[in-house]
Amino acid sequence: MAGLAAVGALTLVGGFALVTSSAAQTPPPKPSDGLTTKVALRRVTETQYRHTIADVFGPEIKISARFEPEQRVDMLLAIGSAQLSLTSSGFEQYFALATSISDQVVSEKQRTTSVPCKPADPAGADDACARRFLTAYGERLFRRPLTESEVLARLRTAAAGAKQSGDFYAGLKLSLTSLLLAPEFLFRVETAEPDPANPQEFRLDAYTKASRLSFLLWDSAPDQELLAAARSGAIHTQDGLTKQLNRMISSPRFEDGARAFFTDMLQLDGFENLVKDPTIYPKFNQTVSDSAKEQTLRTTVDLLVDKRRDYRDLFTSNETFINRPLASVYQIPFASSGDWAPYTFPLSSERSGILTEVAFLSLFAHPGSSSPTRRGIKVREIFTCQVTPDPPADVDFSKVQASTTGTVRERLLNHMGTAGCASCHRPIDPLGLALEHFDGLGQLRTMENGAAIDVNAELGSVKFEGAQGLGQYLHDNPRVPACLVRNVFAYGVGRKPDAQDADYLRGQATAFANDGYRFPDLVVQIASSPQFFKVAVPNGAERTSLAAAATAPLKTSKTSEGANP
Amino acid sequence: MSSFFDRRSFLRGMLRRGTAVCVALPVLDQFLNGNGVAYADGAKIPVRFGTYFWGLGLTDTPTGGTRWVPSKSGPGYEIMPELESLKPVKDKVSVFSGFRAIGDGRPNLVHWSGHASILSGVAPGVSGRFDGPSFDTKIADAIGTSTRFKVIDIDASMSRQPVSYSTPTGVTFAMPETTPLALYARLFGAGFQDPNSDNWQPDPSIMLRQSVLSAVKDQRQALMSGVGKSDQIKLDQYFTSVREMENQLAIQLEKPEKREACAVPTAPKDVPHNASVDSVRANTKAMAKLLALGLACNQTRVFNFVHTAGISEAYIAGESKIYHQITHDEPTDAKLGYQPETSMLAGLVMQAFGDFLVELDGIKEGEGTLLDNSLIMAFSDTGYAKIHSIENIPMFLAGKAGGRHKAGQHVHATGESVTRVSLTAQQLIGAPVGEFGTGSMRTARPITEVIA
Repeated sequence: MAGLAAVGALTLVGGFALVTSSAAQTPPPKPSDGLTTKVALRRVTETQYRHTIADVFGPEIKISARFEPEQRVDMLLAIGSAQLSLTSSGFEQYFALATSISDQVVSEKQRTTSVPCKPADPAGADDACARRFLTAYGERLFRRPLTESEVLARLRTAAAGAKQSGDFYAGLKLSLTSLLLAPEFLFRVETAEPDPANPQEFRLDAYTKASRLSFLLWDSAPDQELLAAARSGAIHTQDGLTKQLNRMISSPRFEDGARAFFTDMLQLDGFENLVKDPTIYPKFNQTVSDSAKEQTLRTTVDLLVDKRRDYRDLFTSNETFINRPLASVYQIPFASSGDWAPYTFPLSSERSGILTEVAFLSLFAHPGSSSPTRRGIKVREIFTCQVTPDPPADVDFSKVQASTTGTVRERLLNHMGTAGCASCHRPIDPLGLALEHFDGLGQLRTMENGAAIDVNAELGSVKFEGAQGLGQYLHDNPRVPACLVRNVFAYGVGRKPDAQDADYLRGQATAFANDGYRFPDLVVQIASSPQFFKVAVPNGAERTSLAAAATAPLKTSKTSEGANP
Repeated sequence: MSSFFDRRSFLRGMLRRGTAVCVALPVLDQFLNGNGVAYADGAKIPVRFGTYFWGLGLTDTPTGGTRWVPSKSGPGYEIMPELESLKPVKDKVSVFSGFRAIGDGRPNLVHWSGHASILSGVAPGVSGRFDGPSFDTKIADAIGTSTRFKVIDIDASMSRQPVSYSTPTGVTFAMPETTPLALYARLFGAGFQDPNSDNWQPDPSIMLRQSVLSAVKDQRQALMSGVGKSDQIKLDQYFTSVREMENQLAIQLEKPEKREACAVPTAPKDVPHNASVDSVRANTKAMAKLLALGLACNQTRVFNFVHTAGISEAYIAGESKIYHQITHDEPTDAKLGYQPETSMLAGLVMQAFGDFLVELDGIKEGEGTLLDNSLIMAFSDTGYAKIHSIENIPMFLAGKAGGRHKAGQHVHATGESVTRVSLTAQQLIGAPVGEFGTGSMRTARPITEVIA
């Protein structure tokens, strides 16, 4: 019997419990219930965290921590971040980071500007002053006003800390740390409410709308003006929405938003852990890796945001930027005295468009060689939204030749000649073979193992040659702009588009074409459409409102009154 | 598999197993007193649990060219070429061959289905996710709450996105330490308290930090209401992290028990970031050393160690192909019956595992070594990597688990489910688990030959 008792005790020790089935039996909430419902919980990304802290507390705040790894789902990290929670070691990191940020914000030097009031007694608690501090920063960090109970919980922390340490500011630091650690800060809690104009429908509440706009356009939390538009309800009107969008798109901060979006879509996060064999690619190092990522982002933002050019030019333009470490990889002189300089690839370089920059070429290759298959898969996935299935598990490679003779083309032709492999490899490999004049680091070459590399490609009836031919092929492919439209939408709403979105996305793609494929116009167009704020109520959501949550204990107290007269 | 570790499945398993395996019980005592093994001063030595993963399997070809499966079962197995590195500790390591992952109609997701099945007991539906928690998290829940860190996760592979296969939900996976320096900082940096220090004082700032967490927890109910089911699971995981942090702080306020085997290391040098087989081995060794000291100093009792990921990016410096490509492309040598280069690489990869075990065995604890007081389940994602086989996935149980593991044996069971080894590991560590896995991989039969 002792053994069984021990088992019982042990079961309690286990922290994890799957959510009970009662939630699954709850019917989906209806707008007519008159209550709010939470439709999504999206983990704030590293850059969103960094931008928010800089916006709220100033760019001088140092942020040094390792952030939780993200997960790409349906081609985007933004979709993955709506599915991830955070781990215990991640929480440890956030705790240390939050403590360090609070220390900086409330440091003796900073507090004169960061704390909006002076405590009556600097050696003790001061609820009034702490409240002013917490409500002001709380609204920015939670992206909505704090509820009274959220404020009270932090006031208790501030008072206890002040009392224990004999220092008002020490208490204030602790309460700020608890805001920075709160799930309401670390996750974007998206909330829906019944639509007053249409009581049978939900709509996103005003603060959730403000956050969607702000994270899409600025990769950061809403600023004061946007929060004001949410507070007043102006954001629910088309005029109010348009006003905010026009303001935001013309701000220099849109560049942050564009960078974050293209880092995600182009999968440039892969640079954080990219490795190359230094014996084969001695020029590769961390500086080259960082520079390659920056080059592609600069080129993209300059072309699409600053110059407002046609999105499709991204695949054909020979205008770029280089710095000294990259100049060595590209084997060109770097004459500028600045860090970065504009540069135009000459025709002989075989380079035009972002596919021919070191970023794409090195990211989608192996540590010691190029990889036409990998590059081909990524061209399709990233730019045409076509996902290649995993290879069959029992594929037989035994006829594939060794890599010490001839070019990779002959080796891959074997795939294309085998029925089981051909259905996938036929549309993939030619895209990558066209890029074979660039090795695994992205350096130009024309020979492999002493044989000349053939960069002709054939996709069905379409034929093209080399990287420049591939760029033109993508430029003219209507799937390419349609894929961008899909990605901007999915990135903004944090979910995979479903069948109901198909007509909408087609319409957006047509509008994008009619506007001359201008990326900023596309973002505004999508962010001002009702579909962008469409509510998808998740399964098993229990409904409640903040008011209902506050009154919930009353129900139980009634019962207990009966039990304990 | 929410039911595992619950009382019903435990009893069910007991009934099915009959008396032969009742030796796996009683359980809780195991967790608490380490099977009676004691330090010189009488303090009990805990049993530690860990997983060790390497990518791309070992060589055992359909043409019969095996490089790792010993010819005979039972104790005293012969050292096969790819197991050469286990030689110094072979009496403390059991080898399991012939076990397979069974998909029940689900596809073999390459470099994923194998270890997902071993850890979660279910063949996964999609790559990148498990259909249930990995069982190491349950063990950590049970034996990891009295140390500063419930679990330490490590990825020594230095390539691509750091990976861990430890997950309490099947969706969010642990964030591993990837360099010796980071591991050192976590285990022995800020917050470390030397258990052998004579002038221990509680740190008053810890209580202040505790009050930060109480404000966060206060809002739990308001936040949880009106949340969809998958978001509830995410928030549960968040609040579990909060509780674990509270536990960590509470432990730091207690005077640590003395640990005679604890020697505090100095900060290691940072390592060059490249994924050559040699570099990954050096990184594994450096991190293994720190982990061993972390265990000896009672900073954690549970760990998950990834040497290389499922799709290993390891390479031999100067070779244009990575190990993963070589496993697929290299022809089978007709005379030898296997792929010579692949086998050579597998042997190199296994050297890191040998190094790791030797590190653990080098730390004296009580009358034995740290390895004697540990159980490490080591496994890969595939059997024969060339065809992504999930048959005959190499698995090992290393360490004597405080005397409960009858180590040094080879167990061969063609076509049996990998979950039998997983279940055995759980029972050896004393977990009250009677059965593990679902569908064809559901089992209530541990491998009794290795249970003392």
